[in-house]
Amino acid sequence: MGDIDKTKGTEPEGKVVSRREFVTGLGGVGLGAVIGGLLGQGFFTPDKVFAIPASGGYLLVDTKKCAGCTSCMMACSLVHHGQVNYSLSRIQITQNSFAAFPNDISMAMCRQCPFPACVEVCPTGACHVDTANGNVRTVDEAKCIGCERCVNACPFTPSRALWNGADKHAQKCDLCADTPFWNEKGGPGGKQACATVCAMKAISFTKDVPVQGADTGYNVDLGSTSKVWQGFGFNVG
Amino acid sequence: MANGYAGKILKVDLTTKTIGEIPTSQYEQWGGGHGMGSAIFWDLCEDPTVDGTDPKNVVTIMAGPLSGTLASGAAGRTEVQGIGLQSMPRGWFTRSNFGGRFSTHLKYAGWDGIVILGKSDKQVWLNIVDGKVTLEDATSLWGLDTHATQQKIWASVLGAPPAGNWDTLGTTRDSGRSTQRPAVLSAGPNAEKFGPWASLVHDGGNGAGQGGFGGVFASKNLKAVSVLGTGGIEVADPNALMQARTWLMGYAVAGNWDNQGKNVAGNWPLPANPGTASSFPKGTALRPQGCAGCVRMCRCRSDKIMGNDSMCVDFFTTAGATPEVNVVWTDLMQKLGLNAFNLVGLFPWLRGLVAEGAIGKGKAIDSSLPFEQMTSVAFGVDLMNSIVNQTDIGKDLALGLWQCAQKWGRLDKDLATGMLPLQEWGYVHHYDGRTEAEWGYGCLLGDRDINEHDFNWICYWTPTIWAAYGMTPLVTAQRMAEIMSKQMIPYSDEPNLIDYSDAGIYSETMAKTTAWHRHYTRYYKQALGFCDWNWADFVNPYGPDFVGATSIGEPKFFNAVTGKNQTFAEGMEIGRKIWNLDRAVWILQGRTRDMEVFSDYMYDVAATAKTPGIPYEMPYTMPVFENGAWSYKSVAGRKLDRQKVEDFKTLFFKLEGWDTKTGWPTRKTLEDLGLKNVADKLQGAGKLGAA
Repeated sequence: MGDIDKTKGTEPEGKVVSRREFVTGLGGVGLGAVIGGLLGQGFFTPDKVFAIPASGGYLLVDTKKCAGCTSCMMACSLVHHGQVNYSLSRIQITQNSFAAFPNDISMAMCRQCPFPACVEVCPTGACHVDTANGNVRTVDEAKCIGCERCVNACPFTPSRALWNGADKHAQKCDLCADTPFWNEKGGPGGKQACATVCAMKAISFTKDVPVQGADTGYNVDLGSTSKVWQGFGFNVG
Repeated sequence: MANGYAGKILKVDLTTKTIGEIPTSQYEQWGGGHGMGSAIFWDLCEDPTVDGTDPKNVVTIMAGPLSGTLASGAAGRTEVQGIGLQSMPRGWFTRSNFGGRFSTHLKYAGWDGIVILGKSDKQVWLNIVDGKVTLEDATSLWGLDTHATQQKIWASVLGAPPAGNWDTLGTTRDSGRSTQRPAVLSAGPNAEKFGPWASLVHDGGNGAGQGGFGGVFASKNLKAVSVLGTGGIEVADPNALMQARTWLMGYAVAGNWDNQGKNVAGNWPLPANPGTASSFPKGTALRPQGCAGCVRMCRCRSDKIMGNDSMCVDFFTTAGATPEVNVVWTDLMQKLGLNAFNLVGLFPWLRGLVAEGAIGKGKAIDSSLPFEQMTSVAFGVDLMNSIVNQTDIGKDLALGLWQCAQKWGRLDKDLATGMLPLQEWGYVHHYDGRTEAEWGYGCLLGDRDINEHDFNWICYWTPTIWAAYGMTPLVTAQRMAEIMSKQMIPYSDEPNLIDYSDAGIYSETMAKTTAWHRHYTRYYKQALGFCDWNWADFVNPYGPDFVGATSIGEPKFFNAVTGKNQTFAEGMEIGRKIWNLDRAVWILQGRTRDMEVFSDYMYDVAATAKTPGIPYEMPYTMPVFENGAWSYKSVAGRKLDRQKVEDFKTLFFKLEGWDTKTGWPTRKTLEDLGLKNVADKLQGAGKLGAA
């Protein structure tokens, strides 16, 4: 159980916190429990334990279905920045033609961690929980001072928070909450560009918090063991 | 500028080791890819009559405005051009093309293409990381296979085997970061030794296979080109591009996973070419894999690594071996950088020579290869290694199939029977010009086997499979003809464009079909990169009333990316311009109409499965218009009439505005296309067509 700050938290009136929300608030993989940057973003459970509202949505992937076409990366950078640019994509697909399936492709999407290290370490609150957009973890570019603590704090490789060297700020997956170049509603209540363009349906969206602590919470069967998939000759072994 | 272009083309002079730039705007009217490549070759090649190994040969490796974007089935291709080493009686100015992620990285690095001039005095590889371009020592890479070369270059560029994290390229965090491996295009080991056979390979099996470009690279002392881009390409209308992508997904299984059984027989529009997944041994664990931005994913990656990124004829479809053997051969073929299609033709020829008792230990063609076990792993391995190392019959094979047959004194005889299946220009028979006429004519009047399946899937394979398996056609021949005529702008007023009857294949209408095909492929497929596995999309079971995406989809993507308002007809006219420019180069290289003849078997031998012994072909059933009605009819067993082919050529030349005596474009035709300078040069060479 983490440190409890009783003096600076915001206590929403009438908010009931479920056991699941409470537990997932402390369940981020490999994270410490320093409240720090979570000031003003957490809430107190009825018994005064400080927790972070879980994201209203998560990307799930099936790495055995991914065809490595990187359309998701192109779409992500396109809808956020108006350009196609792998280095600006908030989902990263890496691949190696000389490796054996299924290790030839990795899919690196933000897990919208229940206890987000990137939010936790941000000294300015730039990387924050966006309560107006389903509690998605995202970067307010105007507040980013470019310290890259978020990039370094992400427990996953490659870091899901990334540095935008052209515009000089960090950025990360916001579940398409802010996509000025796409006329579709995004965020946890809307569409995600990567899942929309994925021809193999290897990316999906869920509102349910995935099981934490292992890849299998996020890397799931999205049809790779189905008869339809096998009917095309794709045997995932 | 938000128009899909990076804005500059890289120009590398290997002789002087200078790195320069050409503004893309100078060539933007040509679209990209092949259009720009031909125009640049015209401008920079001092003498197109030289051999492909001459330092004066100019090689272009071109992306286009759609490369690296979400233009689906168009974002992943790269077009390679130059004077080739494969065709006979001379190496024509030719083309090849490969998929993967090379053109994407080239664009993100800030380049719309690469022009390579001259010859390096030392063995080098070209290293492009964004705007930083250097020539590196390739001595230690020269004898390595294509896979080893690429992995060594990855380590060289990234400094260490990638840990899967963000690499900072350059000295500051703002100079660019990437999680990606460089995209590398490599020739095989010592490719100068088997130049006419030598391909260029990117990743596991994206091959610029035909033309001998691996040999051209080697002749320039160039081993490989590596590119890693951390930048981006602005798109004119991102939202329109997203909408276009989801629209096109509706024309493929991608948008119809709940309804994927509703597909045209054979191939269209499924993920993974049927035949690719089954090319692997049973039980192999697989995923589909696709080029950048694709919507179909035509090949696979496997848990055995062998065969990764390979598909279709890469798997030795004419050798008669088992999948267990094929994957070993495929892996070696890609590593060695050998032209898979030459191997497609070689196996039937060797089988014929064995049956004749002409080849083997102590025979007229003496060879110690294990011909008694032609479907064993050892045979294929030994055969391929003999070509690469010039041992045994490989010494003669490495000259090229035509040249080898000539040396063995068998050229005329084996072309007359089709035992050596070189349909035209020394290129291996791919599809049959006796039955699928537009394929044969397109090859004959061009420079190589066209490898463009636009009509092939719909007019040959689909009705053939329906007929062979007793299936009810999804569309009648009449409906197919209606749909396609409408799409084949500017010839939409012709109702009989896909009449493959005995009379139809020599008609002026077939001339229009052939011309349409040349123009469409030059612009949409080879200049803009619309991939052969997804386009043209004529008849599609997911389309409204079976109407596919072609003539709507191509401009939709192009205009969304570039911000232009180009019509399909305008694009076709650019294609006609590119085609005429290519024709002018071939004419300068010595082309005359009397050279444009098929091998004798095309005229003298009936088209059956036995000649030329290409096992993947099935007897051709195609749409015909006879006695006032459309039907699907078997046209198997047909052979071409020499005089009628000559008469067809006359019709074609007239249609294209070329001198019917010579096949040379006239001044009027060229000037109407804005090619006055081309007309002047042809005139200066005494090769301008008479009006």
